Amino acid sequence: MNPYVLMILISSLGIGTTLTFMSSHWLLAWMGLEINTLAIIPLMAQQHHPRAVEATTKYFLTQATAAAMILFASTTNAWMTGEWNIQQLSHSPSTTLVTFALALKIGLAPMHFWMPEVMQGLDLTTGLIMATWQKLAPFAIIYQISSTTNPTLLTTLGILSTLVGGWGGLNQTQLRKILAYSSIAHMGWMIIILQFMPKLTLLNLMIYIIMTSAMFMMFKYNNATKINYLTLTWSKSPVLATLTMPMLLSLGGLPPLTGFMPKWLILQELTKQNLAITASIMALATLLSLFFYLRLCYAMTLTLSPNTTNTSSTWRIKSPQMTMPLATISTLTIMLLPITPTIFSLIM
Amino acid sequence: MTPVHFSFSAAFILGLMGLAFHRTHLLSALLCLEGMMLSLFIALSMWSLQLESMSYATTPVLLLAFSACEASAGLALLVAATRTHGTSHLQNLNLLQC
Repeated sequence: MNPYVLMILISSLGIGTTLTFMSSHWLLAWMGLEINTLAIIPLMAQQHHPRAVEATTKYFLTQATAAAMILFASTTNAWMTGEWNIQQLSHSPSTTLVTFALALKIGLAPMHFWMPEVMQGLDLTTGLIMATWQKLAPFAIIYQISSTTNPTLLTTLGILSTLVGGWGGLNQTQLRKILAYSSIAHMGWMIIILQFMPKLTLLNLMIYIIMTSAMFMMFKYNNATKINYLTLTWSKSPVLATLTMPMLLSLGGLPPLTGFMPKWLILQELTKQNLAITASIMALATLLSLFFYLRLCYAMTLTLSPNTTNTSSTWRIKSPQMTMPLATISTLTIMLLPITPTIFSLIM
Repeated sequence: MTPVHFSFSAAFILGLMGLAFHRTHLLSALLCLEGMMLSLFIALSMWSLQLESMSYATTPVLLLAFSACEASAGLALLVAATRTHGTSHLQNLNLLQC
Protein backbone atom coordinates (compact mmCIF):
# COMPACT_ATOMS: atom_id res chain seq x y z
CA MET A 1 0.00 0.00 0.00
CA ASN A 2 1.13 3.54 -0.75
CA PRO A 3 2.67 5.01 2.43
CA TYR A 4 0.72 8.27 2.08
CA VAL A 5 -2.56 6.37 1.87
CA LEU A 6 -1.51 4.24 4.81
CA MET A 7 -0.72 7.37 6.81
CA ILE A 8 -4.14 8.85 6.02
CA LEU A 9 -5.87 5.63 7.04
CA ILE A 10 -3.95 5.26 10.30
CA SER A 11 -4.55 8.89 11.26
CA SER A 12 -8.24 8.52 10.41
CA LEU A 13 -8.37 5.56 12.77
CA GLY A 14 -6.87 7.79 15.46
CA ILE A 15 -9.20 10.66 14.67
CA GLY A 16 -12.31 8.46 14.79
CA THR A 17 -11.51 7.14 18.23
CA THR A 18 -10.50 10.58 19.49
CA LEU A 19 -13.74 12.08 18.19
CA THR A 20 -15.79 9.50 20.06
CA PHE A 21 -13.71 10.05 23.20
CA MET A 22 -14.21 13.80 23.08
CA SER A 23 -17.86 14.01 22.20
CA SER A 24 -20.78 14.37 24.54
CA HIS A 25 -23.24 14.63 21.63
CA TRP A 26 -24.64 11.44 20.10
CA LEU A 27 -24.17 12.58 16.50
CA LEU A 28 -20.47 13.30 16.97
CA ALA A 29 -19.96 10.00 18.77
CA TRP A 30 -21.67 8.24 15.86
CA MET A 31 -19.44 10.10 13.40
CA GLY A 32 -16.36 8.90 15.27
CA LEU A 33 -17.56 5.31 15.10
CA GLU A 34 -18.27 5.64 11.38
CA ILE A 35 -14.84 7.15 10.67
CA ASN A 36 -13.30 4.27 12.58
CA THR A 37 -15.15 1.68 10.53
CA LEU A 38 -14.48 3.36 7.20
CA ALA A 39 -10.78 3.80 7.99
CA ILE A 40 -10.08 0.18 8.86
CA ILE A 41 -11.89 -1.29 5.85
CA PRO A 42 -9.05 -0.61 3.33
CA LEU A 43 -6.54 -1.93 5.87
CA MET A 44 -8.50 -5.15 6.15
CA ALA A 45 -8.98 -5.65 2.43
CA GLN A 46 -5.48 -4.69 1.31
CA GLN A 47 -4.41 -8.28 0.70
CA HIS A 48 -6.95 -8.89 -2.01
CA HIS A 49 -7.64 -12.55 -1.36
CA PRO A 50 -11.13 -14.01 -0.97
CA ARG A 51 -10.93 -14.52 2.79
CA ALA A 52 -9.88 -10.93 3.45
CA VAL A 53 -12.68 -9.55 1.25
CA GLU A 54 -15.19 -11.80 2.93
CA ALA A 55 -14.06 -10.75 6.40
CA THR A 56 -14.21 -7.09 5.37
CA THR A 57 -17.73 -7.45 4.00
CA LYS A 58 -18.96 -9.12 7.16
CA TYR A 59 -17.27 -6.52 9.35
CA PHE A 60 -18.72 -3.68 7.27
CA LEU A 61 -22.27 -5.01 7.44
CA THR A 62 -22.22 -5.56 11.22
CA GLN A 63 -20.53 -2.29 12.08
CA ALA A 64 -22.73 -0.22 9.76
CA THR A 65 -25.86 -1.82 11.21
CA ALA A 66 -24.68 -1.24 14.77
CA ALA A 67 -23.83 2.40 14.07
CA ALA A 68 -27.21 3.00 12.43
CA MET A 69 -28.95 1.42 15.43
CA ILE A 70 -27.03 3.67 17.81
CA LEU A 71 -28.06 6.75 15.87
CA PHE A 72 -31.67 5.56 15.62
CA ALA A 73 -31.85 5.02 19.37
CA SER A 74 -30.38 8.42 20.12
CA THR A 75 -32.73 10.10 17.62
CA THR A 76 -35.68 8.39 19.29
CA ASN A 77 -34.38 9.63 22.62
CA ALA A 78 -34.13 13.14 21.20
CA TRP A 79 -37.69 12.97 19.86
CA MET A 80 -38.97 11.79 23.22
CA THR A 81 -36.95 13.90 25.62
CA GLY A 82 -35.27 16.58 23.48
CA GLU A 83 -31.85 15.64 24.79
CA TRP A 84 -28.79 14.77 22.70
CA ASN A 85 -26.32 14.35 25.53
CA ILE A 86 -24.78 10.87 25.81
CA GLN A 87 -24.99 10.73 29.57
CA GLN A 88 -28.67 11.69 29.66
CA LEU A 89 -30.13 8.82 27.70
CA SER A 90 -33.29 8.47 29.75
CA HIS A 91 -35.85 6.93 27.37
CA SER A 92 -35.82 3.26 28.34
CA PRO A 93 -36.40 1.48 24.96
CA SER A 94 -33.64 3.53 23.35
CA THR A 95 -31.30 2.65 26.23
CA THR A 96 -31.89 -1.04 25.55
CA LEU A 97 -31.42 -0.54 21.83
CA VAL A 98 -28.14 1.31 22.37
CA THR A 99 -26.92 -1.47 24.65
CA PHE A 100 -27.70 -4.07 21.99
CA ALA A 101 -26.06 -1.98 19.28
CA LEU A 102 -22.88 -1.52 21.30
CA ALA A 103 -22.88 -5.22 22.13
CA LEU A 104 -23.04 -5.92 18.40
CA LYS A 105 -20.17 -3.52 17.86
CA ILE A 106 -17.83 -5.13 20.39
CA GLY A 107 -19.10 -8.67 19.79
CA LEU A 108 -20.90 -9.67 22.97
CA ALA A 109 -22.52 -13.06 23.18
CA PRO A 110 -25.83 -13.20 21.34
CA MET A 111 -24.34 -10.91 18.65
CA HIS A 112 -20.87 -12.40 18.54
CA PHE A 113 -21.06 -14.54 15.41
CA TRP A 114 -19.17 -12.10 13.18
CA MET A 115 -16.20 -11.84 15.49
CA PRO A 116 -14.30 -15.17 14.97
CA GLU A 117 -14.92 -15.16 11.22
CA VAL A 118 -13.74 -11.59 10.75
CA MET A 119 -10.66 -12.23 12.88
CA GLN A 120 -9.83 -15.35 10.89
CA GLY A 121 -9.77 -13.45 7.61
CA LEU A 122 -7.24 -10.81 8.69
CA ASP A 123 -3.49 -10.83 9.01
CA LEU A 124 -2.10 -10.64 12.53
CA THR A 125 -1.28 -6.91 12.53
CA THR A 126 -4.77 -5.88 11.44
CA GLY A 127 -6.14 -8.46 13.87
CA LEU A 128 -4.21 -6.72 16.62
CA ILE A 129 -5.79 -3.37 15.69
CA MET A 130 -9.18 -5.05 15.53
CA ALA A 131 -8.88 -6.66 18.96
CA THR A 132 -7.51 -3.60 20.74
CA TRP A 133 -7.95 -0.19 19.13
CA GLN A 134 -11.37 -0.82 17.64
CA LYS A 135 -12.73 -1.69 21.09
CA LEU A 136 -11.82 1.68 22.61
CA ALA A 137 -14.43 3.88 20.93
CA PRO A 138 -17.44 1.66 21.75
CA PHE A 139 -16.20 1.35 25.32
CA ALA A 140 -16.01 5.12 25.65
CA ILE A 141 -19.76 5.22 24.93
CA ILE A 142 -20.54 2.18 27.09
CA TYR A 143 -18.74 3.80 30.00
CA GLN A 144 -20.77 6.98 29.61
CA ILE A 145 -24.15 5.26 29.46
CA SER A 146 -23.32 2.81 32.25
CA SER A 147 -25.55 4.52 34.81
CA THR A 148 -28.70 4.43 32.68
CA THR A 149 -28.64 0.95 31.18
CA ASN A 150 -30.80 -1.96 32.20
CA PRO A 151 -28.97 -4.00 34.91
CA THR A 152 -30.61 -7.33 34.07
CA LEU A 153 -29.67 -6.97 30.43
CA LEU A 154 -26.06 -6.23 31.31
CA THR A 155 -25.82 -9.25 33.64
CA THR A 156 -27.35 -11.52 31.01
CA LEU A 157 -25.00 -10.27 28.30
CA GLY A 158 -22.00 -10.65 30.58
CA ILE A 159 -22.67 -14.21 31.74
CA LEU A 160 -23.72 -15.33 28.27
CA SER A 161 -20.61 -14.00 26.57
CA THR A 162 -18.25 -15.47 29.16
CA LEU A 163 -19.90 -18.86 28.64
CA VAL A 164 -20.02 -18.61 24.86
CA GLY A 165 -16.45 -17.32 24.66
CA GLY A 166 -15.20 -20.27 26.67
CA TRP A 167 -17.35 -22.82 24.96
CA GLY A 168 -16.74 -21.69 21.39
CA GLY A 169 -12.98 -21.67 21.77
CA LEU A 170 -12.83 -25.30 22.85
CA ASN A 171 -13.39 -26.56 19.34
CA GLN A 172 -10.87 -24.36 17.52
CA THR A 173 -7.44 -25.07 16.11
CA GLN A 174 -6.96 -21.69 14.45
CA LEU A 175 -5.15 -19.24 16.70
CA ARG A 176 -6.97 -16.14 15.49
CA LYS A 177 -10.36 -17.73 16.17
CA ILE A 178 -9.15 -18.75 19.63
CA LEU A 179 -8.10 -15.16 20.28
CA ALA A 180 -11.49 -13.93 19.03
CA TYR A 181 -13.30 -16.23 21.45
CA SER A 182 -10.97 -15.14 24.23
CA SER A 183 -11.90 -11.55 23.37
CA ILE A 184 -15.60 -12.43 23.66
CA ALA A 185 -15.03 -14.01 27.08
CA HIS A 186 -13.07 -10.99 28.36
CA MET A 187 -15.76 -8.61 27.06
CA GLY A 188 -18.23 -10.58 29.20
CA TRP A 189 -16.14 -9.85 32.30
CA MET A 190 -16.03 -6.17 31.41
CA ILE A 191 -19.79 -5.94 30.93
CA ILE A 192 -20.76 -7.82 34.11
CA ILE A 193 -19.07 -5.25 36.36
CA LEU A 194 -20.21 -2.20 34.38
CA GLN A 195 -23.28 -1.42 36.50
CA PHE A 196 -21.48 -1.71 39.85
CA MET A 197 -18.10 -0.15 39.26
CA PRO A 198 -17.46 1.23 35.74
CA LYS A 199 -13.83 2.01 36.63
CA LEU A 200 -13.15 -1.70 36.86
CA THR A 201 -14.43 -2.07 33.30
CA LEU A 202 -11.73 0.34 32.20
CA LEU A 203 -9.10 -1.48 34.25
CA ASN A 204 -10.12 -4.80 32.72
CA LEU A 205 -10.08 -3.29 29.21
CA MET A 206 -6.59 -1.91 29.78
CA ILE A 207 -5.22 -5.22 31.08
CA TYR A 208 -6.98 -7.14 28.30
CA ILE A 209 -5.46 -4.87 25.67
CA ILE A 210 -1.98 -5.42 27.11
CA MET A 211 -2.38 -9.19 27.23
CA THR A 212 -3.94 -9.64 23.82
CA SER A 213 -1.37 -7.37 22.13
CA ALA A 214 1.36 -9.52 23.65
CA MET A 215 -0.26 -12.64 22.21
CA PHE A 216 -0.76 -11.12 18.76
CA MET A 217 2.82 -9.82 18.66
CA MET A 218 4.14 -13.22 19.68
CA PHE A 219 2.15 -14.96 16.96
CA LYS A 220 3.31 -12.33 14.49
CA TYR A 221 6.95 -12.89 15.50
CA ASN A 222 6.59 -16.63 14.92
CA ASN A 223 4.23 -16.30 11.93
CA ALA A 224 1.93 -18.73 13.69
CA THR A 225 -1.72 -19.05 12.69
CA LYS A 226 -2.53 -22.62 13.73
CA ILE A 227 -1.86 -24.66 16.85
CA ASN A 228 0.52 -27.00 15.04
CA TYR A 229 2.75 -24.05 14.05
CA LEU A 230 3.18 -23.41 17.76
CA THR A 231 4.92 -26.73 18.21
CA LEU A 232 7.81 -25.41 16.11
CA THR A 233 8.31 -22.16 17.99
CA TRP A 234 10.77 -23.61 20.49
CA SER A 235 13.25 -24.16 17.67
CA LYS A 236 12.87 -20.58 16.45
CA SER A 237 13.12 -18.74 19.72
CA PRO A 238 13.31 -20.87 22.90
CA VAL A 239 13.09 -17.95 25.31
CA LEU A 240 9.98 -16.57 23.68
CA ALA A 241 8.40 -20.02 23.69
CA THR A 242 9.06 -20.32 27.41
CA LEU A 243 7.77 -16.81 28.01
CA THR A 244 4.57 -17.51 26.12
CA MET A 245 3.42 -20.08 28.64
CA PRO A 246 3.00 -17.53 31.49
CA MET A 247 1.54 -15.09 28.96
CA LEU A 248 -1.18 -17.59 28.06
CA LEU A 249 -1.84 -18.44 31.69
CA SER A 250 -2.07 -14.72 32.42
CA LEU A 251 -4.71 -14.43 29.68
CA GLY A 252 -6.53 -17.27 31.43
CA GLY A 253 -6.33 -15.42 34.75
CA LEU A 254 -4.11 -17.50 36.99
CA PRO A 255 -2.95 -15.93 40.30
CA PRO A 256 0.64 -14.76 40.24
CA LEU A 257 0.20 -13.11 36.81
CA THR A 258 -1.33 -9.88 35.54
CA GLY A 259 -4.53 -11.44 34.21
CA PHE A 260 -5.61 -12.36 37.71
CA MET A 261 -5.88 -8.70 38.76
CA PRO A 262 -9.14 -7.72 36.98
CA LYS A 263 -10.77 -11.06 37.74
CA TRP A 264 -9.87 -10.74 41.42
CA LEU A 265 -11.20 -7.20 41.72
CA ILE A 266 -14.36 -8.01 39.77
CA LEU A 267 -15.13 -11.11 41.83
CA GLN A 268 -14.54 -9.12 45.01
CA GLU A 269 -16.92 -6.37 43.89
CA LEU A 270 -19.58 -8.86 42.82
CA THR A 271 -19.35 -10.58 46.20
CA LYS A 272 -19.65 -7.23 47.95
CA GLN A 273 -22.89 -6.63 46.03
CA ASN A 274 -24.30 -9.94 47.37
CA LEU A 275 -24.12 -11.57 43.98
CA ALA A 276 -22.29 -14.72 45.02
CA ILE A 277 -24.08 -16.88 42.45
CA THR A 278 -23.18 -14.57 39.56
CA ALA A 279 -19.59 -14.46 40.77
CA SER A 280 -19.42 -18.25 40.95
CA ILE A 281 -20.89 -18.64 37.46
CA MET A 282 -18.38 -16.19 36.04
CA ALA A 283 -15.45 -17.88 37.77
CA LEU A 284 -16.55 -21.32 36.60
CA ALA A 285 -17.17 -20.13 33.03
CA THR A 286 -13.59 -18.88 32.90
CA LEU A 287 -12.40 -22.44 33.45
CA LEU A 288 -13.66 -23.19 29.93
CA SER A 289 -11.40 -20.46 28.54
CA LEU A 290 -8.55 -21.70 30.69
CA PHE A 291 -8.85 -25.10 29.05
CA PHE A 292 -8.00 -23.86 25.59
CA TYR A 293 -5.23 -21.60 26.84
CA LEU A 294 -3.78 -24.67 28.55
CA ARG A 295 -4.07 -26.57 25.31
CA LEU A 296 -2.00 -23.87 23.59
CA CYS A 297 0.58 -24.10 26.41
CA TYR A 298 0.68 -27.84 26.01
CA ALA A 299 1.23 -27.58 22.27
CA MET A 300 3.96 -24.99 22.70
CA THR A 301 6.03 -26.37 25.53
CA LEU A 302 5.31 -30.06 25.95
CA THR A 303 4.98 -31.55 22.48
CA LEU A 304 7.09 -31.93 19.39
CA SER A 305 5.87 -31.12 15.93
CA PRO A 306 4.47 -34.11 13.99
CA ASN A 307 6.87 -33.31 11.13
CA THR A 308 10.32 -34.84 10.87
CA THR A 309 12.75 -32.33 12.30
CA ASN A 310 16.26 -32.91 11.07
CA THR A 311 17.95 -30.46 13.38
CA SER A 312 17.18 -29.68 16.95
CA SER A 313 17.12 -25.97 16.25
CA THR A 314 16.85 -23.91 13.09
CA TRP A 315 19.51 -21.53 11.85
CA ARG A 316 19.24 -18.34 13.88
CA ILE A 317 18.85 -15.53 11.41
CA LYS A 318 18.37 -12.16 13.02
CA SER A 319 14.68 -11.36 12.70
CA PRO A 320 13.87 -8.09 10.92
CA GLN A 321 10.87 -7.56 13.18
CA MET A 322 11.00 -5.19 16.10
CA THR A 323 11.25 -7.06 19.38
CA MET A 324 11.32 -4.16 21.82
CA PRO A 325 7.51 -3.66 21.95
CA LEU A 326 7.06 -7.41 22.33
CA ALA A 327 9.57 -7.54 25.18
CA THR A 328 7.95 -4.62 27.01
CA ILE A 329 4.43 -5.79 26.63
CA SER A 330 5.14 -9.41 27.51
CA THR A 331 6.83 -8.24 30.70
CA LEU A 332 3.73 -6.19 31.50
CA THR A 333 1.56 -9.21 30.71
CA ILE A 334 3.37 -11.38 33.21
CA MET A 335 4.49 -9.20 36.07
CA LEU A 336 1.91 -6.49 36.77
CA LEU A 337 0.08 -8.17 39.65
CA PRO A 338 2.33 -6.98 42.53
CA ILE A 339 1.52 -3.35 41.74
CA THR A 340 -2.25 -3.90 41.84
CA PRO A 341 -2.75 -1.32 44.66
CA THR A 342 -0.95 1.34 42.63
CA ILE A 343 -2.98 0.67 39.50
CA PHE A 344 -6.19 0.46 41.53
CA SER A 345 -5.55 3.80 43.20
CA LEU A 346 -4.57 5.34 39.85
CA ILE A 347 -7.81 4.34 38.23
CA MET A 348 -10.14 5.11 41.15
CA MET B 1 -45.79 9.13 19.59
CA THR B 2 -46.47 11.53 16.73
CA PRO B 3 -47.25 10.26 13.20
CA VAL B 4 -43.87 11.50 11.95
CA HIS B 5 -42.08 9.63 14.72
CA PHE B 6 -44.08 6.51 13.97
CA SER B 7 -43.39 6.64 10.25
CA PHE B 8 -39.63 7.04 10.47
CA SER B 9 -39.41 4.41 13.21
CA ALA B 10 -41.42 2.02 11.06
CA ALA B 11 -39.19 2.73 8.06
CA PHE B 12 -36.04 2.12 10.11
CA ILE B 13 -37.34 -1.10 11.64
CA LEU B 14 -38.45 -2.37 8.22
CA GLY B 15 -34.95 -1.69 6.91
CA LEU B 16 -33.39 -3.46 9.89
CA MET B 17 -35.70 -6.46 9.46
CA GLY B 18 -34.84 -6.61 5.77
CA LEU B 19 -31.14 -6.54 6.57
CA ALA B 20 -31.50 -9.24 9.20
CA PHE B 21 -33.85 -11.69 7.49
CA HIS B 22 -33.60 -11.17 3.71
CA ARG B 23 -30.16 -12.54 2.97
CA THR B 24 -29.78 -13.42 -0.67
CA HIS B 25 -27.83 -10.62 -2.34
CA LEU B 26 -25.23 -8.26 -0.93
CA LEU B 27 -26.84 -5.47 -2.93
CA SER B 28 -30.17 -5.88 -1.14
CA ALA B 29 -28.36 -5.69 2.21
CA LEU B 30 -26.73 -2.44 1.09
CA LEU B 31 -30.10 -1.09 -0.06
CA CYS B 32 -31.60 -1.90 3.34
CA LEU B 33 -28.72 -0.05 5.04
CA GLU B 34 -29.32 2.92 2.80
CA GLY B 35 -33.04 2.82 3.63
CA MET B 36 -32.21 2.88 7.34
CA MET B 37 -29.94 5.86 6.79
CA LEU B 38 -32.60 7.74 4.81
CA SER B 39 -35.17 7.19 7.55
CA LEU B 40 -32.63 8.65 10.00
CA PHE B 41 -32.21 11.58 7.61
CA ILE B 42 -35.97 12.20 7.71
CA ALA B 43 -35.89 11.94 11.50
CA LEU B 44 -33.10 14.46 11.94
CA SER B 45 -34.45 16.96 9.43
CA MET B 46 -37.96 16.76 10.89
CA TRP B 47 -36.53 17.26 14.37
CA SER B 48 -34.65 20.39 13.38
CA LEU B 49 -37.66 21.67 11.38
CA GLN B 50 -40.08 21.18 14.24
CA LEU B 51 -37.84 22.82 16.78
CA GLU B 52 -36.80 25.52 14.29
CA SER B 53 -33.29 25.43 15.68
CA MET B 54 -30.64 26.81 13.38
CA SER B 55 -27.79 24.96 15.07
CA TYR B 56 -29.29 21.58 14.18
CA ALA B 57 -30.00 22.48 10.56
CA THR B 58 -26.67 21.07 9.38
CA THR B 59 -27.01 17.67 11.05
CA PRO B 60 -29.12 15.99 8.28
CA VAL B 61 -26.54 17.01 5.68
CA LEU B 62 -23.70 15.66 7.81
CA LEU B 63 -25.60 12.41 8.20
CA LEU B 64 -26.18 12.25 4.46
CA ALA B 65 -22.48 12.80 3.76
CA PHE B 66 -21.48 9.97 6.09
CA SER B 67 -24.12 7.63 4.70
CA ALA B 68 -22.89 8.39 1.17
CA CYS B 69 -19.34 7.43 2.23
CA GLU B 70 -20.70 4.28 3.79
CA ALA B 71 -22.69 3.40 0.70
CA SER B 72 -19.66 3.89 -1.54
CA ALA B 73 -17.56 1.67 0.73
CA GLY B 74 -20.32 -0.91 0.56
CA LEU B 75 -20.42 -0.78 -3.23
CA ALA B 76 -16.64 -1.10 -3.40
CA LEU B 77 -16.90 -4.19 -1.21
CA LEU B 78 -19.67 -5.49 -3.49
CA VAL B 79 -17.31 -5.20 -6.47
CA ALA B 80 -14.44 -6.80 -4.52
CA ALA B 81 -16.62 -9.68 -3.31
CA THR B 82 -17.95 -10.28 -6.80
CA ARG B 83 -14.41 -10.39 -8.20
CA THR B 84 -13.08 -12.79 -5.57
CA HIS B 85 -16.13 -15.03 -5.05
CA GLY B 86 -17.67 -14.98 -8.50
CA THR B 87 -21.14 -14.04 -7.28
CA SER B 88 -22.62 -11.48 -4.95
CA HIS B 89 -24.78 -13.99 -3.10
CA LEU B 90 -24.34 -13.78 0.64
CA GLN B 91 -24.53 -17.58 0.80
CA ASN B 92 -21.19 -17.79 -0.97
CA LEU B 93 -19.42 -15.88 1.78
CA ASN B 94 -18.68 -19.09 3.66
CA LEU B 95 -14.90 -19.48 3.49
CA LEU B 96 -14.29 -18.48 7.09
CA GLN B 97 -16.83 -20.68 8.79
CA CYS B 98 -15.67 -23.62 10.82
